[in-house]
Amino acid sequence: MTAAGNEHGRRAREIALPSGAGSQATFGPWRPGSDFLTSLALLAPAAILFTVVIIIPILQSMWISLHDWDGLGEPRWVGLANYVELFGDPQFYVSLRNNLIWLAVFLLAPPLGLALAMLINQPLRWMGIAKSLFFVPLVLAPVTVGVVFTWFYDPAFGLLAPIARAFGTTAPAILSDPSLVTWGIVVAAIWPQTALCMILYLAGLTNVDEDLIGAGRIDGAHGFSLFRHVVLPQLRGATFIAFAVSVVGALRSFDLIAVMTQGGPFGSSSVLAYQMYEQSIFSYRLGYGAAIAVVLFLIVAVFIAWYLRRVLGEEARN
Amino acid sequence: MNSFRKIPISRRKTLTGMGALGAAGLLPRMAIGQGQTLVINSNVNNPESRALLERMTAAFGKEFGCSVTINTTDPESYKTTIRNFLVTSPPDVCFWYSGERMRHFVRLGLFEDVTDVWEKHGFYEPTGALADSVTVDGRQYGVPTEAAFIGIFYRKDLFERAGIGQPPATWDELMAAGEALKKAGITPFAIGSRDLWPTGYFFDYINLRTNGLDFHMRLMAGQEAYTDPRVIKVFDRWAELVSAGFFTPNHTSYSWEQGATFFSQGQAGMIFLGQFARRFLPQEVIANTGFFPFPTLDPNVPQYEEFTANSMHVPSGAGNKELGKEFLAYFYRPENLQEWIVPEGYLPPRKDVEITFMDELLQSGLDMLAKAEGTAQFYDRDTNPEMAQIGMNGFQEFMVDPSRRDSILERLEAARKRIFEVQ
Repeated sequence: MTAAGNEHGRRAREIALPSGAGSQATFGPWRPGSDFLTSLALLAPAAILFTVVIIIPILQSMWISLHDWDGLGEPRWVGLANYVELFGDPQFYVSLRNNLIWLAVFLLAPPLGLALAMLINQPLRWMGIAKSLFFVPLVLAPVTVGVVFTWFYDPAFGLLAPIARAFGTTAPAILSDPSLVTWGIVVAAIWPQTALCMILYLAGLTNVDEDLIGAGRIDGAHGFSLFRHVVLPQLRGATFIAFAVSVVGALRSFDLIAVMTQGGPFGSSSVLAYQMYEQSIFSYRLGYGAAIAVVLFLIVAVFIAWYLRRVLGEEARN
Repeated sequence: MNSFRKIPISRRKTLTGMGALGAAGLLPRMAIGQGQTLVINSNVNNPESRALLERMTAAFGKEFGCSVTINTTDPESYKTTIRNFLVTSPPDVCFWYSGERMRHFVRLGLFEDVTDVWEKHGFYEPTGALADSVTVDGRQYGVPTEAAFIGIFYRKDLFERAGIGQPPATWDELMAAGEALKKAGITPFAIGSRDLWPTGYFFDYINLRTNGLDFHMRLMAGQEAYTDPRVIKVFDRWAELVSAGFFTPNHTSYSWEQGATFFSQGQAGMIFLGQFARRFLPQEVIANTGFFPFPTLDPNVPQYEEFTANSMHVPSGAGNKELGKEFLAYFYRPENLQEWIVPEGYLPPRKDVEITFMDELLQSGLDMLAKAEGTAQFYDRDTNPEMAQIGMNGFQEFMVDPSRRDSILERLEAARKRIFEVQ
């Protein structure tokens, strides 16, 4: 308000004064209508919101992680005891390993999504229907996906059992087997994730320059080399976003685990996010839960740093 | 560090003050609820009981001139959501489980002291020993709503087909019966362990039958070690059942209701559960079902049983505590309890309530209780809730792979030391 109201006056002074005069006290950065104040005013809403909902909670989590706290009474300072316990907790390593499985499998979602996008981007009749069918998993709530897959895997009443019987074997009890259970959940999760990547690539494909493809053809590129050297470079933006959402999606995986196994059997399908939830909400150990959250945050921060470097680097190049 | 506090103390005080005004009897009954809404959070999900609860609350609303809202959640999710709603948006009345599960919330200051209701309406006398299930330091924090005995239900037709004459009364007879069922192509025990708690009965009962009630309760209170040779003995007994292949394959995939399905479909000969199991059995299966207490393991150990009570409470953060307490008192009237226990086939918490649905199953359960030298409740109500969660996870793992006994017991012992602050 102040900034906008003084816009006219600021201009007038700027014209009247030679450059460098801003160092005088009355014309410092805090004078009404300075560039600094204007940017401050414009940044303020976002900065305040970001501080309140992101920065402060992160710092609070770090603070809480140094306490033994049930969420209701007085927190008791325990220093790094929660971290010491966490690094000695076998469940932590199970969760971490499962997070890595999620991450590895989720990295398949972008290539799968790209393959699907290339497949259904053909200008054929009925392709619209195919597109919407592939789009379906994205419309379903994750809870629905979890429930459907749980039924599918059910070793006695599920669809997997008769399918396995038709091939002359018995279906493994995927959600009961500690070595299979995480894979079973990831497969359920990658279904909507692939659809998401497909949509990103379909959007990217509409922006692919026909002229470049034509030029490529004239230069003798066709088939895979045309795709590899002409189409794919133009999909860089989509690829980047697809990988970023897949990585973050893998690290924050929670909903399907909660629906399908509650981390079981005996914690073998838990991930860090679920372990954090279980400790904080179920066991009322907010300090310990916060310690898990901080570790998860640090892992995610590595990817965020990578992401920001890419985005900022890209912007600098343009 | 005060910034961590979540509960607005001042508001709670104001509400207590308002409540005191009502309790002093300055206002007639109608006025207590006039224009108010009583909010009940419920985990009662069987259709008959829900309809009954609605009828009951409608009558209550008429008597007290208030409207009633019931929020129902399925029982397994309820165990998680209650931890949120008691803090963030407490109802006026909520269903829950008595014993340590309740005491945990009392210690956190989340349940209201309702001793005044007990005294005013004289609940102690008709309730008897069950009153202790909702007691902390001599004060009452709710009312028991219903109770269940625990034991083994068996299919008479399958026992006959397998050539088992008598229901097993000793461990050897139980093992023999299991082998006979297996030979006839029948799974001895149906169980669905996904929600963990059905495993607790095996631990509790083998422990009660091997080491007795005192040791069991000391273990529950964190005063005995999970690595104690007496506990190891319990797990070794249990391992006999697991190694013999007596349980539903892949039981960790199934909820307890799905587990019960194997029993009602005739694929399994026995199921070890509370009497509430019968509500999942079709009528024709019930007609074919018998009941026997968990077998004796050591003739020198007196017969102890489990008797598990559910309960109803007024959260301390309730917006309308007085009305909540009135509802507790209303619900606890003998004529209401008499109806309440019917759909799920529970036992009434009051001795002056008549049981109107007596049959063979119930009679055998009552006979068993009458002979009991003492009772525990159940693992997740007798020990600290966090310990129970870690413990039952360990039980489930043990029932999948008994060879992990030592690592499981070490984990449980580490949890016990931390939770009960044992040096």
